Amino acid sequence: MSLVDESFELKELQVLEGHADRVWSVAWKPATGFDGVPAVLASCSGDKTVRVWEQSPSSGSFQCKAVLEETHTRTVRSCAWSPSGKLLATASFDATTAVWEHVGDDYECVSTLEGHENEVKSISWNASGSLLATCGRDKSVWIWEVLPGNEFECVSVLQGHTQDVKMVQWHPNMDILFSCSYDNTIKVWAEDGDDDWHCVQTLAEANNGHTSTVWALSFNATGDKMATCSDDLTLKIWGSDLLTIQSGNGSAPWKHICTLSGYHDRTIFSVHWSREGIIASGAADDAIRLFAEDGDGLVDEPKYHLLLKKDKAHDMDVNSVQWSSAGNRLLASASDDGTIKIWELISLAGDQKPPL
Amino acid sequence: MAASSEPNSREDIFDSSLNLEETHLKEGYNEGYADDLVSGEEEGRQVGLKTGFEVGEELGFYRGCIDVWNSAIRVDSNCFSSRVVRSIKQMEELLNKYPISNPEDESVSDVMDSLRLKFRAICATLNVKLEYNGYPKSSDGGNIQF
Repeated sequence: MSLVDESFELKELQVLEGHADRVWSVAWKPATGFDGVPAVLASCSGDKTVRVWEQSPSSGSFQCKAVLEETHTRTVRSCAWSPSGKLLATASFDATTAVWEHVGDDYECVSTLEGHENEVKSISWNASGSLLATCGRDKSVWIWEVLPGNEFECVSVLQGHTQDVKMVQWHPNMDILFSCSYDNTIKVWAEDGDDDWHCVQTLAEANNGHTSTVWALSFNATGDKMATCSDDLTLKIWGSDLLTIQSGNGSAPWKHICTLSGYHDRTIFSVHWSREGIIASGAADDAIRLFAEDGDGLVDEPKYHLLLKKDKAHDMDVNSVQWSSAGNRLLASASDDGTIKIWELISLAGDQKPPL
Repeated sequence: MAASSEPNSREDIFDSSLNLEETHLKEGYNEGYADDLVSGEEEGRQVGLKTGFEVGEELGFYRGCIDVWNSAIRVDSNCFSSRVVRSIKQMEELLNKYPISNPEDESVSDVMDSLRLKFRAICATLNVKLEYNGYPKSSDGGNIQF
């Protein structure tokens, strides 16, 4: 399916209301949204709660199925499902990370990870669900091992960033960890055997990197490309040699491939690469933008173009955009306006290009 | 300025009044230097005492924690996971490596940083909050919330 010649529309399906403060992040539950399994989405907010929404098979609309409250004492900044969908981890400004398990009709907090000195900003599970990474304003990145019985053991505390770390993300196939920060860099962390984690690469301004806070990063489906977004108003695409990554022989270095500039005029807070190759961005100008790779770019020098821009997607800053991994072209967005919106990417018939 | 065949004594008299500013400058400098040598040494001694105390307190604290953990391991070798046991051992090696008699050794801050990280990781896994009044925190103050 070529995305190049098609034209698209981002259709607003539903507005999810309920949170009493800004919504920071959303996460689709893995293995839901297809084959008769209703899609499930978690959202977290400045109102200190996490909400779980489920799509009704009959009406198709999302309803709030659970509110995870009375655990975090401050804003919940980020949430992430384990790859199996059995656990939900939530990161909070109260310096803890809570791990929840679905028990019957409700969610129970089965573990609390402490260690960060202050606000935890992001969490990420590795592909196998055996490791959990967290990061925060104390400039450190923590790696935890998941043990039987919902026990967690701290594997390593990584220092290296010189400022607030905004996001951590594991590589989709390998146990390599990526972090991005207010110090304008992206760091790559790998293990040198036996719990010995260290920074193997730093993507800074000198490497064609960002010139201001890097807010988020996202991998493409194959894991050989990464998109990063920043306060410097650009999206950058980075690439690495897939075979070298997989051989595990030392780390394959990441190189800058291209910079998408001139498309955003306010800070870009979130970027997410869909399995089909569409990059979504959420920005401080309340808009959502979609980008796709040009069909006629060279293999070594791919180019990207703006697929569409959704102005006023929300009434305020868009904090997070997330594609569902179920292949249903659903996109969820979270905003300072306290709502979550569910969108569907619809391809328009014929050669009519919608006005940008 | 003519200085050819004047008698020496006359040159000296004029020289000293001509160089008055430079002389006074030198005198003042020497006085200040001597004064500060004394007060600077005293201030240095105070800083040294303070830093030395703080470093000693922190290292002693780690020594105490490690001793207690090692005792627990001796009583019951399975009380901690193998990872924790390994971390405690690594922390002990770092502690022994700290150049306590040589404060000008460049590795002091690196070893101390590594010690602090290892300690935080062990405490997080054991789910204990161990600290003392005056334990250094690396975070800055402020309340940024993004």
